[in-house]
Amino acid sequence: MKVNLKYKLLLLLSMVVIVHSCVPDVDPPVTQPLFYQPEGFPATSGQLANNPVTYYGFSLGKKLFYDPILSLDSTISCGSCHQQFAAFAHLDHKLSHGINDLEGTRNAPPLFNLAWHSNFFWDGGSNHIEMQPIAPITNPVEMDESVANVIFKLKRSSYYPAMFEKAFGSDSITTQAMTRALAQFMSSLISANSKYDKVKAGTATFTADEQSGYMLFKAKCESCHKEPLMTDLSYRNNGLDLHFAADPGRARITLQPSDSGKFKVPSLRNIAVSYPYMHDGRLNSLSKVIDHYRSGVIQSSTIDPLLSSGNMSITDAEKQQLILFLNTLTDPTFLNDKRFSEK
Amino acid sequence: MKNKLYSLFMIAFVAIAVSSCNDDETTPSTNSGPATYNSGDVGLNFENIAGSVFLDPTGATNYVNASGETFSVTNFRYYISNVKLIKEDGSKYEVPNSYFLINANDTNSLLAELTDIPGGKYTGVEYMIGVDSARNVSGAQTGALDPANGMFWSWSTGYIFMKLEGQSSASSNNSFVYHIGGYSGVNRGQRTVSLDFTPSVLIVDGGKREAEIHITTDVLEIFKNPSNISIATQSTIMSVGAASSNIATNYADMFSFDHIHNDPL
Repeated sequence: MKVNLKYKLLLLLSMVVIVHSCVPDVDPPVTQPLFYQPEGFPATSGQLANNPVTYYGFSLGKKLFYDPILSLDSTISCGSCHQQFAAFAHLDHKLSHGINDLEGTRNAPPLFNLAWHSNFFWDGGSNHIEMQPIAPITNPVEMDESVANVIFKLKRSSYYPAMFEKAFGSDSITTQAMTRALAQFMSSLISANSKYDKVKAGTATFTADEQSGYMLFKAKCESCHKEPLMTDLSYRNNGLDLHFAADPGRARITLQPSDSGKFKVPSLRNIAVSYPYMHDGRLNSLSKVIDHYRSGVIQSSTIDPLLSSGNMSITDAEKQQLILFLNTLTDPTFLNDKRFSEK
Repeated sequence: MKNKLYSLFMIAFVAIAVSSCNDDETTPSTNSGPATYNSGDVGLNFENIAGSVFLDPTGATNYVNASGETFSVTNFRYYISNVKLIKEDGSKYEVPNSYFLINANDTNSLLAELTDIPGGKYTGVEYMIGVDSARNVSGAQTGALDPANGMFWSWSTGYIFMKLEGQSSASSNNSFVYHIGGYSGVNRGQRTVSLDFTPSVLIVDGGKREAEIHITTDVLEIFKNPSNISIATQSTIMSVGAASSNIATNYADMFSFDHIHNDPL
């Protein structure tokens, strides 16, 4: 009698275990919060205040990010020009091609640590992360759609209404819901786990060359590429051109002539994997970038004060050390994080 | 036992007496005079005109602007927001969250419904043409402010406060496009409108009186007062600058109070 009972209990227990492992998890195990504040990072922009990141909001945002339905002929998605392996930049593309292979005028920037930015694009024209997606969606050379039509397509799709319901508690699909989901996904792209970060946390050590490169970085680059974001988020003219008719940069937004030729200081995180560089992608290697600063700076009326005394003196050996340091800003955890991947 | 019963009776009596004292302040007097008015809805009815005739927004009718240029209109839309109703005593009631997109080509949009206005007598209305700065920097909005309405610059975040588009032989490519915006800075496009109903008075008494204010919007004013705008000189304005600011100063006085519907229901 006793033996029978024990046997029955064991059978019951094993059945429970088997059934449990066959049933897929409804909610995924959360190993790391989707949005978090890395150690030492400054305050965020506050633009997530009305839009806290949740798993379902993030998932909806990711689905939208990789869905070409946002484009006129369903060929272009955000992911077409923002590739995870390139830190969400467009690898090896000076300029990107959108609908009908039409080309834009500016290099697709990498996407990470966006919650610490208050404005977006090379000229800062977008003043809120929720408004940012509207520009590529409606740009005739990118996705060439209208917001109203995108909403219409999402509403009649077989899968979006349920995803919006899960994310926001209502299957009502609005511009605000769509852009908030995208904002949740984009804000979760956080890169703060490079070798540099580990060195700062005391869990890794630079090689001698990397350390020399870091010291050089602090002496020559840090005033604009401020730690820990590796950008001070300001708009500066770094001496690429004498005239700015082709692209006035920040002046296009502020309408101040003193802002002509100024572009947003990009973050140097993941810089080794997100070439080419500059607002129009004209420099395709870190070597060329450093050469620009040591022999190619063009003085103009709006040149940044930090470069107004001319080129930087960097020896060949120092240049190599600097590049080795810049390589330590690559964050493989971020580049390979499956949570951000298309599939 | 008897004492207990007596105490209970006293408690009950006091409770009833106290509760019956609360009936004094049921009809709050809202406004001037001894009469009591219920809160209700007020409609702002916009009639788009071109001088002395109703505006045809389909492009089929020609008009002449102050610069002597012939033009027709195919698209005329504008935001009015931050509506305030001015009471008889001069104080202002701010209608919360009031944002309306008036579209000459959409008759449903021509009546802006202001809800739950406190009952009373009103002698005027004030509103902003455009969208206030705060709403331009706080992310994706809904309703009239939804970017899907197409009154929005995504390359430089900001609402377009007024769109006027049409055909004109004065333009080198036969069309003109004026998109006026700018939520901050010296060339900002917001303007305030203040309309007085005097000698009329609008009595808001929900359920007892209809309450509709008729306002005319004269498209010809966009081309004059104080600046003469010439299509030949500039047929396209799609960014913020001195030209758009001039048009904004012109459109500041394109509204006129016409009449009120305030009959008892």
